[in-house]
Amino acid sequence: MLVSEIEIITPISVNDCLLLLSKNETEHRIIAGGTDAVVRMKEGKWRPSAWINIKGLKDLRYIKEKNGAIHIGPLTTHTDIIHSPLLQKRADVLVEACREVGAVQMQNMGTIGGNIGTASPAGDTIPALYVLEASIELQSINSSRIIPINQLFTGPGRTVIKPNEMITNIIIKPQTENEIGIFQKLGPRKAQSISIVNVAIMLSMASNRECLGGKIAFGSVAPTIIRAKKCEALLSLNPLTDDIIENIAKVAWKEVMPITDGRATAEYRRDMASALLERGLFRLMRRWENK
Amino acid sequence: MKQLLNWIGKRVKRLDGPEKVTGALKYMTDFHFENMVWGKVLRATYPYAKIHSIQTDKAKQLPGVICILTHEDIPGFNGFGIVVPDQPVLASDIVRCTGDAIALVAAETLEIAEQALSLIEVDYEPLEAVTDAEQAMSAEAPKLHPDGNIHSHVKIKNGNIDKAFREADIIVENTFYSPRQMHAFIETEGGWGVMDEEGFITIRCPGQYAYRDRMQIARALAYNPERIRVISSPIGGAFGGKDEITVQIYLALLAMHTNGRPVKIHLSREESVIAGIKRHPFKVRMRTAAKKDGTLLANEVRAVADTGAYASLGGAVIALAIEHSCGPYKIPNVNLEGFCVYTNNGISGAFRGFGVNQVCIGIETHLDMIAEQLGLDPIEIRKKNVYHQGEVSSMGHVVKSSVGTFKTLEAAENCDLWKNRNQYKKEVSEPWKKRGVALATSFHGIGMGIGLPDYGAASIELLPDGKFLVAVGCEEIGGGNGTAYAQVAAEILNCDISKIKVIQGDTSKTLDGGTVTASRSTYTGGRAVATAAPNMIKLLSNTAAVILKVPLSEIKILRDCLAAKEEILSYEAIYEYLYIHHQPTKVEGHFLLPKEKTEIKGSGGAPHHLYGYLTHVVMVEVDTLTGETEVLRVVSIPDAGRVINPQGLEGQAEGGAVMGIGYTLYEDVIIEEGFHKTKNFTDYIIPTIRETPLIETFPVEDEEQTGPFGAKGIGEVVMIPIIPAIMSAIYDATGARIYHLPATPERIFNALKEMKKQNIQPSR
Ligand SMILES: Cc1cc2nc3c(=O)[nH]c(=O)nc-3n(C[C@H](O)[C@H](O)[C@H](O)COP(=O)(O)OP(=O)(O)OC[C@H]3O[C@@H](n4cnc5c(N)ncnc54)[C@H](O)[C@@H]3O)c2cc1C
Repeated sequence: MLVSEIEIITPISVNDCLLLLSKNETEHRIIAGGTDAVVRMKEGKWRPSAWINIKGLKDLRYIKEKNGAIHIGPLTTHTDIIHSPLLQKRADVLVEACREVGAVQMQNMGTIGGNIGTASPAGDTIPALYVLEASIELQSINSSRIIPINQLFTGPGRTVIKPNEMITNIIIKPQTENEIGIFQKLGPRKAQSISIVNVAIMLSMASNRECLGGKIAFGSVAPTIIRAKKCEALLSLNPLTDDIIENIAKVAWKEVMPITDGRATAEYRRDMASALLERGLFRLMRRWENK
Repeated sequence: MKQLLNWIGKRVKRLDGPEKVTGALKYMTDFHFENMVWGKVLRATYPYAKIHSIQTDKAKQLPGVICILTHEDIPGFNGFGIVVPDQPVLASDIVRCTGDAIALVAAETLEIAEQALSLIEVDYEPLEAVTDAEQAMSAEAPKLHPDGNIHSHVKIKNGNIDKAFREADIIVENTFYSPRQMHAFIETEGGWGVMDEEGFITIRCPGQYAYRDRMQIARALAYNPERIRVISSPIGGAFGGKDEITVQIYLALLAMHTNGRPVKIHLSREESVIAGIKRHPFKVRMRTAAKKDGTLLANEVRAVADTGAYASLGGAVIALAIEHSCGPYKIPNVNLEGFCVYTNNGISGAFRGFGVNQVCIGIETHLDMIAEQLGLDPIEIRKKNVYHQGEVSSMGHVVKSSVGTFKTLEAAENCDLWKNRNQYKKEVSEPWKKRGVALATSFHGIGMGIGLPDYGAASIELLPDGKFLVAVGCEEIGGGNGTAYAQVAAEILNCDISKIKVIQGDTSKTLDGGTVTASRSTYTGGRAVATAAPNMIKLLSNTAAVILKVPLSEIKILRDCLAAKEEILSYEAIYEYLYIHHQPTKVEGHFLLPKEKTEIKGSGGAPHHLYGYLTHVVMVEVDTLTGETEVLRVVSIPDAGRVINPQGLEGQAEGGAVMGIGYTLYEDVIIEEGFHKTKNFTDYIIPTIRETPLIETFPVEDEEQTGPFGAKGIGEVVMIPIIPAIMSAIYDATGARIYHLPATPERIFNALKEMKKQNIQPSR
């Protein structure tokens, strides 16, 4: 398929869009901000017969509280998230992750739905969504289902989303007063870089450095984002002193299964899983103490 | 005694600033024409292969294809190359790198042109690629060129090296590896070609020497160069990467087959990565000897440069590297040797610094190592060993031109960052981070060296509106030389800078004044303007004397006008008189660059007559958990002779520093088995504004008598000493020495891990 032969169809409503997807006579693909789609089209990897351009569907761009949860529309841009007072307060880990996506231009164009849709193991918002226990609402013309984020991905670039479905809502569990989060990214440079390793951490704190429990999700060290369950289990055993943090972080390399690629070797990635967890916990504790 | 000057040394705003900042300026590759066609180049599938046949029939039949050209369609000489034209314009029987061009397509759309490429059938016989420079030098390696794989071999010997090493108190020896840096200009290679009904060919293509590009085009086309016009300016960045022919010959060939329609080629970033020239990766083994008091005794250097498939300027790069391999010091005993070697790894050539970047990391690191072992201050050891004007350099020649190293070291010693470094080093932002401060110094030859003709030329024309058109061949490559030319002209003509218009890089409008390379264009173009301007004054005053009917001696050159007695004469009036009387309104200035008389035997062109000098002080912070290095502060202390425009100098100093940071910490084009693993800016990491530190520029002005108003050149050395300075600052911070650039987080982390394993404590 030549680029010039690809059609662009712009649905006027979500329903219209779902209808288009349901027909699926030819190979269609959704395009939102296009920051992944256009790159892959140029590379020749994504050459659908038509782009379904959803960027104008205002109904899919929202951040709102509902029944004790926060709903984020898939067309919400990274910039929207960064500037949302609600998310700054109740989902700081996601805000931090969005700040690390590319640079300002990418944050303005790129959407959270697109970040999920691309399903890159290095996608920066996904670990944050893991620790916020996100659920993804998938709709088709005649049904709707909700998939927990840890069940959404089947491998690099692969999800359980069916061709006639689209993401219509991202539901997260807001952080409570005593929950704090942090996102740490190691890339080949500070901006415009793909993660070598990233990690989202959320802790539920009691007094001082006593931790009631927490969640840790790593990116770019496995075929999909993974939770570091062993490390999580250690979080509440002892107060998170600097020594304990170091010990917990050491366990991280056992939980990851990285590969070597152009950005880093598997060995370095393994070491960095520990390093980022250590750095993240250090920084979190400092923030907690200054809170 | 300093003259009172109106424009020289002033912060004059860039003449081309507003149009560049606002985006109003159209670069040549931005243009589109109604009746245009698109050109594409078919590149080789293999890094090294025989070609048995090239079939273009299918491609020709594709609707929308206008022409397909192969080596059979080249009317003249099928080759190009600045020094040795060993690179085929279009390969016929063999390909030596994946950047090799095999066929050209012109088509109605870019997409059709791309499709046509895929329909050209090339029957290859792949051969085993030569991918390592040292392996290429061995007897068993296949010969990539008829004369073998060693393109050039330079040697400089002085004194008695064996004796010096025997008698030395301290000897250090190390091997350094440097990366294949990409110029990463914003505007990739590209341009336009068109042939008019009379067969006159116009090529608009950013380049660094329009006249030489024209010569190379004419040679390939077997065409009268006078019937070719090359417009080579403005340029969306070049840094040496557009010194060699990029696409000019392809454009000209296609233009001959498109029935007068303009043809455009503009390489994608991916194609630019594969086909564009890169900085030579070097392996440098260096052994340096000193006395107890820090006096350098001897230096032994063996440098091997991977020039890839073709020579381009590789021979000159290795020669310049060897000339600079001992730093701006006086080492009495040296044995230096460099090899420029063919492989199947792309093509290397000119790049800002021209070989000096790769060797300065050796000598500067060694000075720091020696200083540390002897307990000397890094500035003291350098001050002790630098040559001064009139002294003998390590090359064994008396340096007659200006030498500012000592002054730059004094300035470094007195700058805030160096003086208060111990305090700054304590101010780490997080406990696991470590800071280091270090400095390094280097130099860079200005102009072409011995063996190559080096001249400057400029013209100045009086225009009807009373302005002056200053025309200089040297292109506006982004560095601001055009503004410098205007300053020189306005200074001498005694007029406001708004009266000066500058045109550059156009064979139909500017004289041949050499390249915009070799840190030469301010010196050469500026001096050429300074040579032409008095001729314009002569023309103005002679004419004024005639108009006013007074003796020439009574004519006064006032600001923006001429006068005699009470009468004032405007430039417009003078133009009018000349025009009516059919007299020329244009003057020229020509000169030859000063050169050394005798070449150092075997050196390939050393020494240069002129050098620019620079010292860098840097502070880094290393995250010991991850190995990430952040450069926090840079102090750049150039000796550029008299500074023509401080703002322009700062632009060069800042841009150069960032390019040096990129070279040291991030950048490398990875080629494996002859194939590029690095594809584009996704995986070729250059610094962004977030990697850009505070950069201060404190020039010391060691005036050069022969330069325009005492100016020298600075375009390249601004990115050089920062490289070893960062390496040493990393060591100062962590105790880890990195010998293999770029010093990526992974390399630094592994070095720290190794130290931990061996239980080595950081030295400081
Ligand atoms: C220079 C650059 C830097 C970048 N840096 C980063 C980075 O640091 N971190 C990072 O994580 N990413 C980065 N990216 C990738 C990209 O910007 C993000 O993944 C972004 O969030 C994608 O959003 P989008 O709206 O542009 O997606 P699009 O490109 O429009 O779509 C991406 C995919 O998602 C699908 N999709 C989009 N919306 C939906 C939906 N509602 N339902 C179902 N499927 C959908 C599309 O079909 C497509 O397959 C970078 C990209 C570039 C070009």
